[in-house]
Amino acid sequence: MNDALQTHCDSVIGQMFERCHENAPNFGVTSDCFSRSLNGTLERFKKSSSDDLAEKDVTDFLGQIQADDLFMAIACANGNERAWWDFDQQHRAYMERVARHLARTEMDATDIVDAVYEQLYGTRIVDGERVSKFATYSGRGSIRGWLRTVIWHSLVDRHRAGHDEVSLDEMTENVGEGGAHANFAEKPSGGDETMVDQIARDRYRKATVTAIQNAFNTLEDHEKLILLYYHVENLKLREISRLVESEDSPLRAWFQRRSATRENNPAGRIHESTVMRWLEKCYAKVLQSFRSQLISESGLSEAEIAICTQLATQDLAGNSFFNNLNVSRSAAEVSN
Amino acid sequence: MNHIRRLTFGREIPNMENEIKLDPQELQIQGILDRYLTSGSNRSAADGRHIDDDSLSAFVEGTLNRRESDSIVTHLVDCGFCRHTTSELVRLDLAFAEEAPAQIAANAEHSKISDVLSGIFSKIFGTTDGAVFAHEEKEKEKEENERAVGDEKIEKE
Repeated sequence: MNDALQTHCDSVIGQMFERCHENAPNFGVTSDCFSRSLNGTLERFKKSSSDDLAEKDVTDFLGQIQADDLFMAIACANGNERAWWDFDQQHRAYMERVARHLARTEMDATDIVDAVYEQLYGTRIVDGERVSKFATYSGRGSIRGWLRTVIWHSLVDRHRAGHDEVSLDEMTENVGEGGAHANFAEKPSGGDETMVDQIARDRYRKATVTAIQNAFNTLEDHEKLILLYYHVENLKLREISRLVESEDSPLRAWFQRRSATRENNPAGRIHESTVMRWLEKCYAKVLQSFRSQLISESGLSEAEIAICTQLATQDLAGNSFFNNLNVSRSAAEVSN
Repeated sequence: MNHIRRLTFGREIPNMENEIKLDPQELQIQGILDRYLTSGSNRSAADGRHIDDDSLSAFVEGTLNRRESDSIVTHLVDCGFCRHTTSELVRLDLAFAEEAPAQIAANAEHSKISDVLSGIFSKIFGTTDGAVFAHEEKEKEKEENERAVGDEKIEKE
């Protein structure tokens, strides 16, 4: 960061500090401490892309920071009693509600809140200093959103501790509401296989699987993610709408950049029907790519493509079509 | 082009306004894609790292900007664990959005700071912390000083 930009940052951070200090004069947060935290966050922001930062980027970025929440978090990390009292009054009830919502029993919920408080205060000492979980909060989102995530991970850690043999994927699929439905390894149906010769059937299956794999891979990451949320995570359209509710949502911005309706209603609410249209566009792209794969790569005719899709559709009932693709969970995910 | 209700995999029945025209081929590809994705076949090898709590919550709240979000979206495509976490956070967010804002306990204003902190530290350490005792002493000291000043005033009068 050049000197002029650093001066600009210092100026904006100084103004933020003044506002926060006025709101919470008893938190004992120094200007240096506040500035150090924000400069660290800015540094990470800078590294997130190779593009140079302009003054406007910095102003916009700092403008998005939940400064008062960050101020409180810094104060709590420093052990300020007034800040802890305010934090407890403002957020404990919410944390308890979140924990109760996620945990299976009231006792679990209480234990989780206690464990999170322990993390927040920090009982581990490194180089003579207490390590508070608050130090990892940067103000990028609200403190409640962050607490929710901390509670969720605490719950996952707790569950893992009691289920050593369960992979992380299996475990997370069983925690929370979204018990994933991806139980694909079911017995193949004993369907009638006399309609098409087995060799031809295998050939078409292989071509279809390769084509759908390649077609999915041609999508951009934002498109893949929305499909994965819908099909794998089983998020409802309403829930996806919620995810993109913020005008600044990266998913929303990405899809809107590709949509003519953005000009008409750039800041409007995203309805379920909008999400549905986004999905529809993804399906259309997959279909187009799928068909061209089968034609160009596998050399299939229109009639053969029809057989491929028919086979795949028939097999859906027996859930056998992709069984041979059921790859093992990634070692990295399991080991974490 | 047929008029077929969309997204019919037993999970969601959209509103009537969401009924759209669907090409039968698109309906087929939707089904094939559903099975492909739920089979886990698209799972890529993650690099063993996960997104931190701070970025995950910011992503769910939609407060990351484009510069930061591209790498996170890519990670979420590859990492089932982080993706599942964001999904659960969205569900939670929606469930809570429909509830009334949390009511601060009626006695909150009357709670003494020292009582609250004693509670926190007793939860963390199983007993109250020295710092809290020190705080309580400060409070008591303050009260005693105020009382003494009051007595002096009365005496002067």
